[in-house]
Amino acid sequence: MTTLRRTTSLKHTQQRMAVLFILPALAVYALFVLYPLAMSLWGSFFVWKGLRMVEFAGLSNFSRLFVFPSGARLYGALWHNTAWFFGIMVFQNGIGLLFAWLLFLRDKGAAFFQSVFFFPAVLSPVIVGALWRLLLAPGGVVEWALNGLGLHQGSLTVLGNSHTALAMLIAVDAWNWMGLPVLIYTAGLRQISGQIFEAAKLDGAGNARMLFSIALPLLMPALGTLTTLSFINTFNQFDIVYVMQGVQGNPSYSTDTLVTYFYRLAFGAEGAVGITDIGLALALGTLLFLILSIGTLLMLRFFDRRTVQL
Amino acid sequence: MSALAISGAPAISRQLARLPGWTVLAVWTAAVLLPLYILVVSCFKTTAEIYDNRLGLPQSWALDNFVNAWTRADLGHNFINSLIVTGGAVILTIVVSAMAAYPLSRYRLGWNAVMLGLFLSGIMLPIRLASVELFTLMRNLGLLDSLTGLILVYAAIRIPFAVFIFANFMRVLPSELDEAARMDGAGEVRILFQIILPTVKPAVSIVAIFTAIAVWNDFFFPLIFIFDDRYKTVPLAISVFVGQFRTDWGLVFASLAISMAPILIMYCLLARQIREGVGAGGGMK
Repeated sequence: MTTLRRTTSLKHTQQRMAVLFILPALAVYALFVLYPLAMSLWGSFFVWKGLRMVEFAGLSNFSRLFVFPSGARLYGALWHNTAWFFGIMVFQNGIGLLFAWLLFLRDKGAAFFQSVFFFPAVLSPVIVGALWRLLLAPGGVVEWALNGLGLHQGSLTVLGNSHTALAMLIAVDAWNWMGLPVLIYTAGLRQISGQIFEAAKLDGAGNARMLFSIALPLLMPALGTLTTLSFINTFNQFDIVYVMQGVQGNPSYSTDTLVTYFYRLAFGAEGAVGITDIGLALALGTLLFLILSIGTLLMLRFFDRRTVQL
Repeated sequence: MSALAISGAPAISRQLARLPGWTVLAVWTAAVLLPLYILVVSCFKTTAEIYDNRLGLPQSWALDNFVNAWTRADLGHNFINSLIVTGGAVILTIVVSAMAAYPLSRYRLGWNAVMLGLFLSGIMLPIRLASVELFTLMRNLGLLDSLTGLILVYAAIRIPFAVFIFANFMRVLPSELDEAARMDGAGEVRILFQIILPTVKPAVSIVAIFTAIAVWNDFFFPLIFIFDDRYKTVPLAISVFVGQFRTDWGLVFASLAISMAPILIMYCLLARQIREGVGAGGGMK
């Protein structure tokens, strides 16, 4: 009887204490994350006057998003984000796999190379962007080096050229985050039992064969994590574009992304006069939210199905 | 990994077979370190010297650029703001997240899973898209142009990840730990802060490291919430410098060096924990 009473009173105390303990975190999180996010999604169905909601608008913000003059910006940005994602998948997560495999095959130096490769990832994208903007500028050190090596003549204008600027930004982003795939793949490779590789070698498999036929299928969880992270990061891309090319995604919107377009609509830098269009901004936000949630769920499911259990 | 060495092959030819691999690794090491080397030596050069002598060491190790960046461009002020915001956000995130994770991972409440799920859903939420409503909220609360406002927003964004890490570490602690203390009459607050939290020190350091990096580096929220120069943080100031002082390259390089110094020092001290933390969870960004 006494034990029972003690347990019930403990249960009561615990319920009360739990509420008190959880409340501060929940209050801050709900107020500054959940509430504004929910209000933004809700607000995308309304007509806005400045920062005030005026009347219900149904889907009219969304239909405005896809037609002139917004349509060109939207499709441009959507294409740039998609290209950015595939660029990162190949040049960051693909080459990163090669680096991780090379480190895995060597008993020495792995910690050193991992630390060096990961270092740019702890820097602010603002610093990385500013640094590369200086290095790649006309008269900068890259131009000087390419001229000296005879690979290029005259002034280097890769950031001012609408055909090359986006590729440069993707390369800078890959430089920034190369350490991430290297660390995640090496952690994944170390979880694979050494016996599997031993057996494969006895069967006469070479290094390349072991990487693609044995390691890669077992690295599906690592590849899933990286693909999802890269997807979320590239579709949130803002800092590097802002610092290197300006918020308009210069030259002539060739490096514009969904978030830079969102920022211009929301905080008044779109078009020559720089007026805000909150309704359009929120509709774009909702669209991006849907792209990110559906994309992430599909990717997680895709990689979950392909995970090999041994 | 030594088991993967080509057994039986002579040592020299084995090393030779590895030469292409070492070259690839060396090339990327150079690609990472060379820009950083140029950044460091350029800090000590005048703009003219940067053009004349691209890769060499500076003529003198003069600190003029650093002094100019710190005082004339007022980066010192931004630096202190960034320290306050980062420190405040790290402490607030750790305290409230540990408090929330404790009952969620160790009490039987019947609603643990639902509440934990609510917190965890925030790890992936694209909060930037909420910035219009967040701006209105901050204005109504009088938190625009305020370091407190930034601290609250950053803590809110980092809480989901922190709760996730703390709950994972606390869940696996033996139940005798808090039960024994409870028998001795210790209160729940004391059990959390004097018994549970000290035993999950690795979780505290993971949360502290990744929160500090994320907050120190963030650019988006100062950009939309801070207008007054007095409250600008380092990344926001840097984004202005790059345009403003574009002809004074030495000063811009020096301000980049100053702004990455705290993270660089932390990275050198904690490289192993950071490598392991990222490798285990990928829980960055």
